[in-house]
Amino acid sequence: MKVSLSERIYFFNICCCLLFVVLAISILWSSQKVELALSREAYTQKVSNLTNRLKQLIVSDDIYHSDYNASGWLDSQSKLIQLLKSAPILTSKQLTIQNSINSQSQSVKRLFTRINENKLKKANESIKKLLRTRLMTQLEIISADSMQLSVVVQKDIYKVIKRQALFILLILSIGLFTLLYGSFRLAKVFSMSLKEIKNAFEKNHSGNFQKIELTHHSVEFDSIVKAFNGMNQKLGETTVSLEVMKNIVEERTRNLKQLSNTDPLTKVANRRALFERGNIELLREHRSQNKLSLMLLDCDYFKNVNDEYGHQVGDKLLKHICYICNQEIRKIDFLGRYGGEEFIIILPDCDIKGGVELAKRIQNSLLKNCLVVEDKKIKVTLSIGISMLGDKHKNFEQLIYDADQAMYAAKENGRNRIEVSK
Amino acid sequence: MITLNIKYALLFLGLLAVSGGYLMYSNYQETWQIKKHPVSIAISKTPLSTPFFVAESINAFQDTCVNVKYVDVIGGKNAFNKVMLGETDFGTSSDSVLAFQSLTKNTFVTHAMFVESDNDMKLLTHKKDNIVSVSQLVGKNIGVIKGTSSEYFLSTLLAIEGLTTKDVNLSYFNPTQLTEYFIRNELDAVVHWEPFAFNIVQLLEDQVNIIETKNFHTLSFNLVSKIPDKLLLEKATCILQGLNTAIEYIASFPEKSKIIVMNKLNLDLSFINWVWDDYIFKLSLNQSLRLNIKSQVVWVIETQMSEYNDMPNIDAFLDRRAIMQVDPGAVNIPL
Repeated sequence: MKVSLSERIYFFNICCCLLFVVLAISILWSSQKVELALSREAYTQKVSNLTNRLKQLIVSDDIYHSDYNASGWLDSQSKLIQLLKSAPILTSKQLTIQNSINSQSQSVKRLFTRINENKLKKANESIKKLLRTRLMTQLEIISADSMQLSVVVQKDIYKVIKRQALFILLILSIGLFTLLYGSFRLAKVFSMSLKEIKNAFEKNHSGNFQKIELTHHSVEFDSIVKAFNGMNQKLGETTVSLEVMKNIVEERTRNLKQLSNTDPLTKVANRRALFERGNIELLREHRSQNKLSLMLLDCDYFKNVNDEYGHQVGDKLLKHICYICNQEIRKIDFLGRYGGEEFIIILPDCDIKGGVELAKRIQNSLLKNCLVVEDKKIKVTLSIGISMLGDKHKNFEQLIYDADQAMYAAKENGRNRIEVSK
Repeated sequence: MITLNIKYALLFLGLLAVSGGYLMYSNYQETWQIKKHPVSIAISKTPLSTPFFVAESINAFQDTCVNVKYVDVIGGKNAFNKVMLGETDFGTSSDSVLAFQSLTKNTFVTHAMFVESDNDMKLLTHKKDNIVSVSQLVGKNIGVIKGTSSEYFLSTLLAIEGLTTKDVNLSYFNPTQLTEYFIRNELDAVVHWEPFAFNIVQLLEDQVNIIETKNFHTLSFNLVSKIPDKLLLEKATCILQGLNTAIEYIASFPEKSKIIVMNKLNLDLSFINWVWDDYIFKLSLNQSLRLNIKSQVVWVIETQMSEYNDMPNIDAFLDRRAIMQVDPGAVNIPL
């Protein structure tokens, strides 16, 4: 059964009231118990006083004398019997003593009345003495019993006070413990539920539309959670998260960037990307003082291929040349289309010698792996110019210029050659 | 899942604690429990032994140091003899028995008086004879039981009227004969104790007259033993503790106590009600007991019933040590 928070608070308040009522009743009940114990003590004092009075009346006078006035004794005796009848409620031990006092006092009265009927005129002195002693002994016993009762009652007062104080403390402790537990429990339900809802709002803020799962259920918080979860479900369905959007944009940007840097025909870097990379490498080589070489390759008699086989074969040839170059260059080298049938390879950490070796490998590879179109081998050669970064080069264009000069020299010197910039 | 595991763990720990507790209890049970001494008590089968019957019924000795074996006997004298013969550790006897035994060489003590009645002895006459006072007994045939409180009681009643046993025709009988002779009208009066007095009243109904003699004699029942050593004194203390519990039960539940006695002795409830109001159930060792024993001893010596004529020291037969440990307020005799 689900209980609402307001019901819990009402219940808690009722418990507080009940505790107060129980405590008040316990205090009243305890005070009555203590009062009863005190009334027992007063009662035993009265019994003791009356018994002493009766003893005194017998000791002070000769009860067998004809002038002895028995009315005073009988009057006190009647008071004692009346007092015994009005005894307060007693414990079982006290009742045992009370029964003894009661019975002895009846016996005393009977014996005294009998003695006073005719003063035992016919009896001898020894029997008179015996009966007088018996009377006194019985009064002594009543007196002793009342003293015993008094002692028992006094001990009982202490016990009653101690017991009742402990009882009140126990009630108070149980009540306080229950209330503390109740209040902590209520506070926990409030704080936990509020924390869970706050966390959910924070997650919403970052676009994470999750459901709230409450640890402690209550009608009020459950209704809030139900509304919140409904709202989050709709938001989740209609809203693209910022993260997803960022990923999409980044992917598109990456694609666009790749498109803008790539030659659409050969799929190698275009002129713009070539220059961008060239400038970066130039800066890096300036910083690290490493060697940087540049190779410019031009396909010999490319126009003839176009004329003889058509532009489509020409395009295939350009792709083939790129393929051969990509097979031979290192991972750190950068191949780009400079324009028409001209390509540039940027060679970081590479001197002229390294560049010449690579150029030879490319020429050999192209010789061995010529383009085959419709079973026809299309053999082409490359004129290659190589330049290396030196103090004279202030920018990337100057380095290209030198390589271009060397490539023209290769053309002039008979093509399919490698020339190095001076 | 974690909550479920914690629950199982707690359940397991609880079971472990209970099993451990049980093992410890069974191993050390004897150490924790009070060491119990076996003790035998000869109990006279009379309603005066009510505290013992109630104690047996409510297990009042359970929390004390004794395991009580009850030995039922007829009459306080037989109970006393069993103690003296060493057949039982304790016995329940009347003050009359103690008075007579105090004159013998028997060495015994009484630890406490647990009941007294000032109306156990009754003087019965036939209604047709119209004898309503002791002074009318002169020259009449009166039956008593020789050398018992019955004879002592008659002599006391006669002395109050200035008479002696010589002024009446005294005949001696045993308790059963005394009843029979009175019913057959062969005796004018009898002095008899309960339950015989009750039986006579039941049989003769309105033809019998009970002369008012209440509180001229007190009969008490006492816990007696041989002179105790340390162990016997410890046992006596534990018996008195149990008796105290039983007496408090009697004060709180008199009707239930009556039923216990009725069932134990197979008596009519009418008889229990007949005697009950005369009984005072209370542990004590007081001047009343001392006076009763003393006055009966004086009477025995005066009437030369016993071969011993030296007045014994009554206080030597009253051992206050056990009751002082149980209920010091109940002791009212000089040191």
